[in-house]
Amino acid sequence: MPRLITRRGLLLTGAALGGTALVAGIAGIGYLSTVDVDGLEGHVDGESAVLNAFVVLHPDGSVVINVPRTEMGQGIHTGLAMIVAEEMDLPFDDRIRVDFPTEAHPAYSTWFNVLQVRPEEASGPVVWLGRRVLGEMGFIATGASGSTMGLWHPMRVAGAAARQMLIAAAAIRLGVPPSELTTAAGVVRHEATERVLSYGELARAAAVLPPPDDPVLKARSDWRLIGRSQPRVDLPAKVRGAPVFGMDVTLPDMLHAAIRHAPVFGASVSGVRNEARVRSAPGVVDVVLIDGRHVAVLARSWWQAEQAAWLLQIDWSATGAEAVDSAQLAARQTEALATGSPHDHIDEGDAAAALAAPGATVIEAEYGVPFVTHACMEPMNATAILHPDGRAEIWAPSQNRVTMRSGAARGMGWAGVSARETTLHITMNGGAFGRRSDHDVIAEAAYLAARHPGRAVKVIWSREEDIGRGLYRSHAAARLRAALGPDGLPVAYDALVAAQSILHSMGGRNLPVTPGPDGDVLTVEGLEKRHYTLPNRRMRSQHVPSHMPIHFWRSNGFSFNTFFTESFIDECAQAAGADPLAYRRALLRDSPRHLAVLDRVARMAGWGAPLAPGRGRGIAIEECYRSVVAQVAEVTVAPDGEVTVDRLFCAIDAGLVINPDQVVAQMEGGAIYGVTTALMSAIRVERGAVVETNFHDFPVQRLANAPAIAVEIVESGEPPCGAGEPGVVPAAAAVANALFAATGRRLRHLPLTVTETIGARRIRSMLPPDQA
Amino acid sequence: MVEFTVNGRAVALEGSADKPLLWALREDLGILGPKFGCGVAECGACRVLIDGESVPSCQVFVGDLSGARVVTVEGLAQPDGQLSAVQQAWLDEQVPQCGYCQPGFLIAVTALLSQIPNPSDAQIDEAITNICRCGTYPRIRRAIHRAAATLSAG
Repeated sequence: MPRLITRRGLLLTGAALGGTALVAGIAGIGYLSTVDVDGLEGHVDGESAVLNAFVVLHPDGSVVINVPRTEMGQGIHTGLAMIVAEEMDLPFDDRIRVDFPTEAHPAYSTWFNVLQVRPEEASGPVVWLGRRVLGEMGFIATGASGSTMGLWHPMRVAGAAARQMLIAAAAIRLGVPPSELTTAAGVVRHEATERVLSYGELARAAAVLPPPDDPVLKARSDWRLIGRSQPRVDLPAKVRGAPVFGMDVTLPDMLHAAIRHAPVFGASVSGVRNEARVRSAPGVVDVVLIDGRHVAVLARSWWQAEQAAWLLQIDWSATGAEAVDSAQLAARQTEALATGSPHDHIDEGDAAAALAAPGATVIEAEYGVPFVTHACMEPMNATAILHPDGRAEIWAPSQNRVTMRSGAARGMGWAGVSARETTLHITMNGGAFGRRSDHDVIAEAAYLAARHPGRAVKVIWSREEDIGRGLYRSHAAARLRAALGPDGLPVAYDALVAAQSILHSMGGRNLPVTPGPDGDVLTVEGLEKRHYTLPNRRMRSQHVPSHMPIHFWRSNGFSFNTFFTESFIDECAQAAGADPLAYRRALLRDSPRHLAVLDRVARMAGWGAPLAPGRGRGIAIEECYRSVVAQVAEVTVAPDGEVTVDRLFCAIDAGLVINPDQVVAQMEGGAIYGVTTALMSAIRVERGAVVETNFHDFPVQRLANAPAIAVEIVESGEPPCGAGEPGVVPAAAAVANALFAATGRRLRHLPLTVTETIGARRIRSMLPPDQA
Repeated sequence: MVEFTVNGRAVALEGSADKPLLWALREDLGILGPKFGCGVAECGACRVLIDGESVPSCQVFVGDLSGARVVTVEGLAQPDGQLSAVQQAWLDEQVPQCGYCQPGFLIAVTALLSQIPNPSDAQIDEAITNICRCGTYPRIRRAIHRAAATLSAG
């Protein structure tokens, strides 16, 4: 798949182009050739030995492994540290500490996500230029399930280089050739003379040696960590309540800010009717208008600030969206499917002709999903200070260093301040799911800090601001058509999706250049069905604008398109009188990797074994983030209508797996996220504003009725693939297909259930057929 | 002045009577384990033990706490640092992902096991209503049973 700039990579094209012009324009290619994209040079820093950009040895024997990716629950700090420890022959114990480095070394850049070329396969001028430009601009982002794919090879090389430098230092010290030395468990050993030197003793000498030109990587047969589950490095602190999330950043004499955003997106503040009253509320220090759009209340306590913010009587400007509601927004999409002028992504063969052929069996269906939001457990927050010497410092749970930096600059800019230097601290993230790559709360904190120079300001959004005034996954609708051949399999597939462009909306807020809305690659993720043998294939997308701010959301287009397409494949199977598993097996006849995953999940689930009346199984499969993932959901629909997802089986080919237990954890958590969205999540709009406000009206899955989940990892010959998002992807279709199997009713719109009160019980049930 | 104990330590708060315990802990006492998640007792991230009972601290006012014994996630381990059976089970099952909600789960489960030493799945469902957006529920259930087994083994 040699697409150079794909998917989420596009989001940075604007920034990358800006960066390219800037850097190349100022200093040219000669300068870029000096950018240290490997980070293998060492140096001594006081008592500590910096062996390279990824490893620091301290005199007390502790080892810091720099992992320049955000830990937001996915276990990335552990997985990437394991890679370095493996190559260095370090024991994986509590002497290892993982840091998210504050410094943005060019070797840390997330260029894989932009260029979509694995580092171990990288060559050519585009990659040469791209990784240098992105390295120089400090593009460090965590997303697109890309962290392991992007750093697997660089961190292996860094570990191997560090090990060779330690051996070289030992060879000099012992006066023996390096070839006579071996390493194990943090020591260099000379077998012949039974002499042993610890890494700690050698570190400072090793750090000043030149790194090897071509570090020798360990043979797979020598691995003792990779592929064997290791406990996570961040969990001992997490069970003690000790880690510092953005919410926990505490600075001397800090001000706390509560904030109010416009209920109708895009509105500005026309006035605050009772500013004096709010200013006189207990503890309030200031009431500040931010960029003409938001109102912040600053106090010595966030509780006081939030209490005072509830008093605010704000007049908002008219935007023209005051009459918009969910029904209108959905109607716009349906209309776009019928009368839009969609962007052509794929037109292979002649799907139109095959669908129009006389006597063709045409299956056609329309599907839809609502807006949803992330609802990270840690509400949005950021802390900023503008020091008296003109330096700025920001602390935030963020997925993206570039938007964090641009947000800081933008916020300071609103106050006419340009910080002399901005230091960014990325804290632990209490969930992220794509949400924390936007700069919004960071710009707010930066502005307030610029208005109160010398004093730290922490902004916290209430849950109501997060759910009702935040950022959203687009709603989407699709019309899918297939012409079935004599064997019942599709001879033509025609997919049209209507959604609001993620990149256009996200880029418009966050990037110097806004990507155009048409042909957004994120809108069609999961629509292509490349793994299915489909002789004639057409895929189109239609951007449908609205006033809603759209953002990345765990698995983006896959989160709706895979629901559409894998439901539709079941509908085709039903029309062909085929079993859904057998039908997919036939469609996957040219895709052995996918077939193996499908067969595995079917075996796990006991596909085909009879189920009691009211119960059903559904299956779905997708290729995403270079992984292949399949799920079987097993549901019960009780006589009173209550829907329960009893069990969920998941098989994944995630390529080479570093820390298997964490891939399992991501599949479990992803499946819960997906089941939540399938059954209960919806953001509705009335009079231009979001209706939902908190967890009572934006319900999420809780422990009761959460499905039991079984996960198996399929052996793979592929290099590491993505694991953070795939678990979400097939869940909605698997559940919808299972409900069909249980009841004979095909539900084509999410959420699949509504809350009903029966006596004292509140249950989730399917809508009656006439209301569905 | 309201006097009570937090994790065995005596505290006295002045002028905070109408402040929720959550914010008094976080802002006035520097105890950051209990987390703000929703502010309306829906998510449970702020749960603490008050006289042994699991309570969302965003809904308790300091003024009502005179003489109370408050225990936060920081107070679950022994003074020498040894983890409680619940915390150890959480590590053994590798429960947390982002970890933000887990202080509230650890508190709620500690309270549950003190009342029902060997809870059934239905009793767990009834008692543990906290929200985890990472979806660690399957491991939470396993860890509760593991902690119950450890505690009953003595």
